[in-house]
Amino acid sequence: MGKMAIDRSQSTLVDAFLRDEMARGNRALRSVAPVIGHMLDSEGPSLFGDAIVARLRGMINDIAAQFVGELPLNPENSEMLKALVDVVAQQLASDETVVDHLYSVALEGHLTAKLKQTASIDPVLSPLMQELIASDKPEIAEIAMSTMAAQSRFAQSQNRMEMPVGELPFEVFSRVLDLFEAAPLGAGKHHIDAAIAKLKRAYDEGAGRIGLLARLSSSMHGGAIAALDLSHAGLALFASAMASLTGQPREHAVFACHEAQIVRLALMLKAAGLSAHAIEGQLAVLGGTKPLPDGFAALSQSVAQDTLREMSEV
Amino acid sequence: MNRQQSIIAAHGLTDEHDRLVKADELLAELQEACGGRLPGALAVPELRELVRQCRERGLRIAREFSAFDGQDKVGGFVRVHPVLETGEDDTDVIGGCEIIIENWLSGAQGDAQTRTSVDWLDAADRASAEITAQLDARQKLQFITSFSSDAEALCEAVEAAPGKLWSEYVELDGIAHEQPLHWRLLDGAKVTVPGSDRSWRARVLPVGPSASAPRGFELLFIANEPLKGDAHREEALENGELQHSRLVGSALTPVLRQPIARIVANAETIHARLAGPLRDEYSEYAANIAAAGQHLAGMLDDLADLEVVEAPGFKAAKERVDLADVAQRAAGILGVRAQARGISVKVDKLAEPIYAQAEFRRVLQVLINLIGNAIAYSPEESQVSVNVDEGSLGMVSVTVTDQGPGITKAQAGKIFNKFERLGRDSDGGNDTGSGLGLFISRKLALAMEGNLEVLPQQQNTDMPGAQFKLSLPVMPAE
Repeated sequence: MGKMAIDRSQSTLVDAFLRDEMARGNRALRSVAPVIGHMLDSEGPSLFGDAIVARLRGMINDIAAQFVGELPLNPENSEMLKALVDVVAQQLASDETVVDHLYSVALEGHLTAKLKQTASIDPVLSPLMQELIASDKPEIAEIAMSTMAAQSRFAQSQNRMEMPVGELPFEVFSRVLDLFEAAPLGAGKHHIDAAIAKLKRAYDEGAGRIGLLARLSSSMHGGAIAALDLSHAGLALFASAMASLTGQPREHAVFACHEAQIVRLALMLKAAGLSAHAIEGQLAVLGGTKPLPDGFAALSQSVAQDTLREMSEV
Repeated sequence: MNRQQSIIAAHGLTDEHDRLVKADELLAELQEACGGRLPGALAVPELRELVRQCRERGLRIAREFSAFDGQDKVGGFVRVHPVLETGEDDTDVIGGCEIIIENWLSGAQGDAQTRTSVDWLDAADRASAEITAQLDARQKLQFITSFSSDAEALCEAVEAAPGKLWSEYVELDGIAHEQPLHWRLLDGAKVTVPGSDRSWRARVLPVGPSASAPRGFELLFIANEPLKGDAHREEALENGELQHSRLVGSALTPVLRQPIARIVANAETIHARLAGPLRDEYSEYAANIAAAGQHLAGMLDDLADLEVVEAPGFKAAKERVDLADVAQRAAGILGVRAQARGISVKVDKLAEPIYAQAEFRRVLQVLINLIGNAIAYSPEESQVSVNVDEGSLGMVSVTVTDQGPGITKAQAGKIFNKFERLGRDSDGGNDTGSGLGLFISRKLALAMEGNLEVLPQQQNTDMPGAQFKLSLPVMPAE
């Protein structure tokens, strides 16, 4: 009787394991075609350059390592640490919210580097940033200074393929905490809770780079439209201002700056209130590959806003 | 930290149940405009969501936010911080949240919210519809559901002959065109439902991803008045109550406000030559268009109010209203306008508050109207004074006095008439009133069992000043 019971529990364990593996395999198989398709995309530049994928992987590992680093573990035991980081990283990599955001960060890093090379746009201190730092309103100057510092840290951590966990926006950060909590680490619950509590205390969305950029573009009020000039504002402020003026997520604004998403960018800029002539100038900076439809110039701002809102609900 | 003070526009505190317990003026005003109280549950939906998230997760959030204060879009950059308290066993417990708003903006900042507000209206109609039906792409009725007893006849008619155009089962008031019309033209139509004495409004809402080629429609019938018992209904019919509809307030105003705001905004852009150089004449024309648009917008608001006060059975709430406080608020709201003309508004300071039994919102509305008129018709650099008095016979009163040309006896006789503008059309377009303000104010005063009157001129000088007195019943002592 006892034997039977053990057998059954073993067989259910095995069963669950097999099913789990099969399901994972199925998921992988389903995504092969679209992923390879993107990678081989011959129509212009791919959304999944090697550089972006490498950055994404680096950042996920870095976030995992920051969490594991908070656990009371023996730092000598590097094998063990590495194994734990892998477990957490895997958890993070399978979450859509986290990957979507990190993808946009990686893309931003990639585009920033590219714009520096092709259009010599300073990744940290754009002309607009200089103006804001020199603002006669001390409070704006102060936010601008903090933003510049954060932007410079961002450039550095992108080069090192790192992602300080406190820089994540609220939704992503709280999702990451959930994933930390759920990761099968085998560590005591109170250790995990303590580590999470520590990360929570240190977190302030408004002090992170993206938070600061949002505060800065909000402090410009209507003048935020001045930031819709890549070579004047730099990509970071450009994206934040565009997100704020169109009411779209900043991730979408960054995505729109990819050279294969020229039409999206044109639409967002139109919705933000830029003239057709100015929009063409921005597209030229990014070196877009897709032509705009005839009659785009005649499109009104409100139609652009409606289209944008309609299409981003999907 | 201190250097950042000036960028912070408003500050507030919530408790562990997301009730706003402390708030600066701007935030308090927004809270009230959204129907909340202080202290009371945080009523601004956009902030409430952020505060909830902050409290539940214990994380500091920073966001741009915007809200609707009933008239304009307001917004800013908000930071919500959890307030940690030490709990029983020395663990941190989140007691509530601190709300810090930076870069406060108000006014028509971007009009991108059209669709959202339309969605709200649709949701409200869905919730209040008593008859709902589904139509196919050619507006043929597929099925119908109703919970109201007076719609039984309609449901039976549909059952007896299903699949016809929906407009064949009901009577469309005022639409004689051959059916089916384009759905947009039928949306909002007045409808008579067979077997029902009530008047109904139809909503036709497209279903499917594209509004230009819908897969089908949602058809809603919303009754304009609740179903009454038979005895009540006859009585109501006698009073003509059923015929009263809120066409302007419920149908016209929401639809027209947005396009008018856009006309005004664009005309102002042209006037200011923001889009490039322009001949002076054209810039002037644009200014005229903007002024006319503003007039239209104000008129629309007044007409909606008029409809409300003229509705049979209109009643005001009975609250305890601190008159000096309301007067102070009204003066505060009009402060900018007064300053622009160099006029100072002086409100009596009282040692003991005087309480009236009235509806706060309505009293505020009347006082804004009176003080606004006083500012508009006073000479520059003059003074408008507001006095609160304890009257006799159980009445208390607020008197608004200006130093303008005053009101003659003949004018006083008709000043409270509907659409009466006392020849003020000729003052060069400064005044964009509809001639309804005082009429509505008086109706409101009467509805609160008080009165609004012009006091007779005191002396025979050039600028005797006009004096309006709003009297209200005193709040009975408890």
